[in-house]
Amino acid sequence: MVKIEELQAYAAELLEKGQVKGVLGYRRGTAGPWVEPCTVTAAADTASLTWDPTCVNNLALYLVKDKKAQAASKTPDKRPLAIVAKGCDSRAVAVLLQENYFKRDEVVVIGVSCEGSGVVDKRKLSEKLKGKTPARIEFAGDDGFKVAVGKSETMIPAAEILADRCLECRAPSPTVSDKLFGEVVQERSYAAPFAAAQAAEAASEEERWAQWQHHFDRCLRCFACRSVCPMCYCPECVVDSTTIVITPQTTAEDKANRIRWCERSATPADSAVYHLTRAMHLAGRCVDCGECERVCPVNIPLRLLNTKLEKEAFEMFEYQAGQDAGQASLMSSFRDEDPNGFIR
Amino acid sequence: MSNPAKSTTPVPDEFQPRIVAFLCKWCSSAGSDLAGVSRLQYSSSAVPIQVMCSGSVSPLYILSAFKKGADGVLVSGCHPGDCHYMKGNFFARRRLYLVQKLLGFIGVEKDRFRMSWVSAAEGVKFAHIVDDFARDIKALGPQQRLKAKS
Repeated sequence: MVKIEELQAYAAELLEKGQVKGVLGYRRGTAGPWVEPCTVTAAADTASLTWDPTCVNNLALYLVKDKKAQAASKTPDKRPLAIVAKGCDSRAVAVLLQENYFKRDEVVVIGVSCEGSGVVDKRKLSEKLKGKTPARIEFAGDDGFKVAVGKSETMIPAAEILADRCLECRAPSPTVSDKLFGEVVQERSYAAPFAAAQAAEAASEEERWAQWQHHFDRCLRCFACRSVCPMCYCPECVVDSTTIVITPQTTAEDKANRIRWCERSATPADSAVYHLTRAMHLAGRCVDCGECERVCPVNIPLRLLNTKLEKEAFEMFEYQAGQDAGQASLMSSFRDEDPNGFIR
Repeated sequence: MSNPAKSTTPVPDEFQPRIVAFLCKWCSSAGSDLAGVSRLQYSSSAVPIQVMCSGSVSPLYILSAFKKGADGVLVSGCHPGDCHYMKGNFFARRRLYLVQKLLGFIGVEKDRFRMSWVSAAEGVKFAHIVDDFARDIKALGPQQRLKAKS
């Protein structure tokens, strides 16, 4: 078990000594049992830090946001930032380190192990409880989760409400951490890695296209998936056609002929370009934190696209994102024995 | 009465595939030139776009071509080890392998996207590749899945 008091004490110590400017963590929110991300900047406030199966957010996103804020600030605070990181979050930190987005000494990783369990999927839980709002969700070892609804407590097996990505997780313990809380558990008894992608592959071409056509058709292009992704840190996104610099000299023709890889309007063809481009840009970088899928307002299974490429990278190139901050990235490396058979 | 033997205009109803071919400047473009100057008869359905290296072909080029109505996309570069930039085609191979898998995963017909290695001396091979590709795409019919509806 992760002893939350120890974690709080460690966070308080970091803040008291002035080693970090803040601690990114989770605290109890106002939305029922669901925690909310927070930045704790005073040692006295660390008592609000918590850790339970509702800690779904990938906090590495806020490291990226802080980096951007510091870069824009006139008086940047150069002290490191501490982050409470699950297995997937720590992989995100590892990829950001690999890409030199920040240096190792700019971040203090407080690792928490999911201990063979994981976080809860809100939609699955809601379905399981038939719409009732739980008051509290707690880890309860191998048996699953202890869910309190009203005054009664029920045990729900982990496999039923665990988030999809947690079912398939290959590394439920942090890969990068300065201090690790909880025990490292590698053995898991849920779905096999890439199970969802494999199941999707099994369908025929026509069925797959019917599925994806349906998904691309529903996409609102709200870009929530892009906003929540810690890897989508580009200041300008290639699918935004609005980032052309307009000066008094810019002619109407220039404006009309600006490069538009992807139109703003949410047509199925443009949504397909957007999602496929995003999947390609995340190839070898996606750490499978499942945030894109969680935030999608129309429930597009975005994780499938990313895990498909993750699966190919793992099977053909033996590459795993976030396992090692020192490895060469997937797209900037090659081997002589890379697949050549598909080329004429 | 027109003489059908003399007519050079194709039958109007017949589907003519449009293939966008990204050819690397150093090998495949020269290969296609060789096919031309050798007066080889091959399908005229490929529209060549010269790029500096097959490694410079972004997945966006391919998706964009499909979006704008290409029936097939061909990316052709130098043979492994022959790249003008030493390793550009190795990067292309890895990246486009993933593009191909991703397109297949969402259900785009797998014959729509093809990759080939054509050296500057392989005019005949280039003609064969374009012919084969055009034939396969003719069998599939027009590409509707990723094409923008206008």
